[in-house]
Amino acid sequence: MLVGIVVLFELLGWSVRGTSFLFNGQRLLVMVLQVSIIGLLAIGVTQVILTGGIDLSSGSVVALSAMVAASLAQTAGPRAVFPSLVDLPVVIPVAAGLATGALAGWVNGNLIALTRIPPFIATLGMMVSARGLARYYTRGQPVSMLSETYTRIGEGALPVVMFVIAAAVFHVLLRYTRYGKYTYAIGANAQAARISGIHVTRHLVLVYTVAGLLSGLGGVMTSARAASGQAGMGMSYELDAIAAAVIGGTSLSGGIGRITGTVIGTVILGVMTSGFTFIGFDAYIQDIVKGVVIVLAVVIDRYRHREVHA
Amino acid sequence: MREGGNVLRSVLKAASVSVLLASFMAGPGCGAGSPAEPVIGVAMAHFDDNWLTILRTAMADHASTLPGVALQFADAQGDVARQLSQIQNFVAQDAAAIIVNAADTTATPSMTKIAQEAGVPLVYVNRRPAETTLPKGVVFVGSDDLEAGTLEMEELARLMNHRGTVAVMVGELASNGAQLRTKAVEDIVAKYPGMKIVEKQVANFQRERGLDLMNNWLTAGAEIDAVAANNDEMAIGAIMAIQQAGIPAGKVLVGGVDATPDALAEVARGTLAVTVFQDARGQARGAVDAAVKLSRGEAVDSFVWIPFELVTRENYKAFLDR
Repeated sequence: MLVGIVVLFELLGWSVRGTSFLFNGQRLLVMVLQVSIIGLLAIGVTQVILTGGIDLSSGSVVALSAMVAASLAQTAGPRAVFPSLVDLPVVIPVAAGLATGALAGWVNGNLIALTRIPPFIATLGMMVSARGLARYYTRGQPVSMLSETYTRIGEGALPVVMFVIAAAVFHVLLRYTRYGKYTYAIGANAQAARISGIHVTRHLVLVYTVAGLLSGLGGVMTSARAASGQAGMGMSYELDAIAAAVIGGTSLSGGIGRITGTVIGTVILGVMTSGFTFIGFDAYIQDIVKGVVIVLAVVIDRYRHREVHA
Repeated sequence: MREGGNVLRSVLKAASVSVLLASFMAGPGCGAGSPAEPVIGVAMAHFDDNWLTILRTAMADHASTLPGVALQFADAQGDVARQLSQIQNFVAQDAAAIIVNAADTTATPSMTKIAQEAGVPLVYVNRRPAETTLPKGVVFVGSDDLEAGTLEMEELARLMNHRGTVAVMVGELASNGAQLRTKAVEDIVAKYPGMKIVEKQVANFQRERGLDLMNNWLTAGAEIDAVAANNDEMAIGAIMAIQQAGIPAGKVLVGGVDATPDALAEVARGTLAVTVFQDARGQARGAVDAAVKLSRGEAVDSFVWIPFELVTRENYKAFLDR
């Protein structure tokens, strides 16, 4: 799928721009750079989906973490949210952003594990409330004038580096550790997992907290990259993240999926955005095609799966 | 298979609950002002848009200086259906007047109809309604977006000596502002034979999207002499991409619209060549005053125009505290 799309843009690229789409290191970087924050969320939501759940709150948690982190990363000046908390060492805003994300995820996990409401509802509530909190935090005002040490976190290829590190870490955790074994087991059959001695409640809370932490990291990276915290950040990122996971072969009914697949799904989204711009595709048509490609990717994936099993 | 059924069932359940939630959220929120005191309902398209936040705050500030005028705000979150029910709620609670910052300007005829049938005065602010003529009791207070695009592009053209290539960053496709500003930019470029639009893409009025778009253009090897963005946030994104690519400042001219505090800081640094001041306080005052007048039965012009103003390196200081 990825190869097909890339080849298509390569051919179109030659006919429209007269140069190669693919053989340009800078463009390859930009392709991944623009989706690396969605990629972080996708790694989180993949794990949640593996347990048979869903996380709709990640985009809003990006906004909330971005606001909290940015408000603690300001330089002194008339636009400081907390005039007494300016020019702080960079670890404080980063830690606050991560903690905000993890806390939101922890609340999601506890809601789901303790009240047994569907993850769709619990995280829908968090999606609405976290966005509301992000707006309430500064009454909708953007938070800017961030310190240079903070904005440096989001500069250049660093978001890509974070994405790759996170992917590697969770690839290993899911494949080779008990953390992964439990995650897949709960998704495949929660009842069986419980009987075989897995503390399902505790593990679910952990997985949702991890997803929240990754959203928090996404919020830190977004605000650092834009040198500003805004309540409208991360709008509908959760859907792109879920799309990336599903394009990458993660099954929405749980138990099946891989981080490597999610990485490929994320890159497909990035390739499409860059490719459309590269060939100067009409902006009015881009989203129509994007939707079709997302569905098509999953159809092809399912079809190939059936072939293998038959 | 059984699990598939469960998932479907929970999605259906979830959908019905979310409809329920949405109908709660559609309410304008209660508790503001005592029921006896007539309020002016203000239906905003977005609470979290930077410029609209300035507008909203300015309306609240201006209303607080007027005796007997209380405002009640509602956030449509960009959803026109939600906004319509918010307007109906304002009508139902006997609002003295309603101020609407339309979530979708093509839906204004139905908003006008709701207000007219209930006999409640209606003031559209900032986003121009679709109707060419407005009935009595309905007015528009705002600025002409064609003027913003014209001011921005004329100044960029002058700085380019009327020669060179232009890339256009477009805001939300469905918004009137994006369409009219883009049209004005295209019209100005078409006027000068030495100038040409080489790129035109959407970045949804957002900084990160502008940054990504500019990165994509730069790596596509596009020869761009000037970027005309529909707003400042996208323009700032373009500036960040240009800096990160190591292109010397001033080589690519960047223009925006809104004159937000962040944009003025960029003008001061010499990275943003031009922006256009849209008078949020002027529009806010105009809208609240019009609503108060209409609610007292006084006459107001159908269209109240608040002019845009060009902001450059030479005059930006005058806008720092406006």
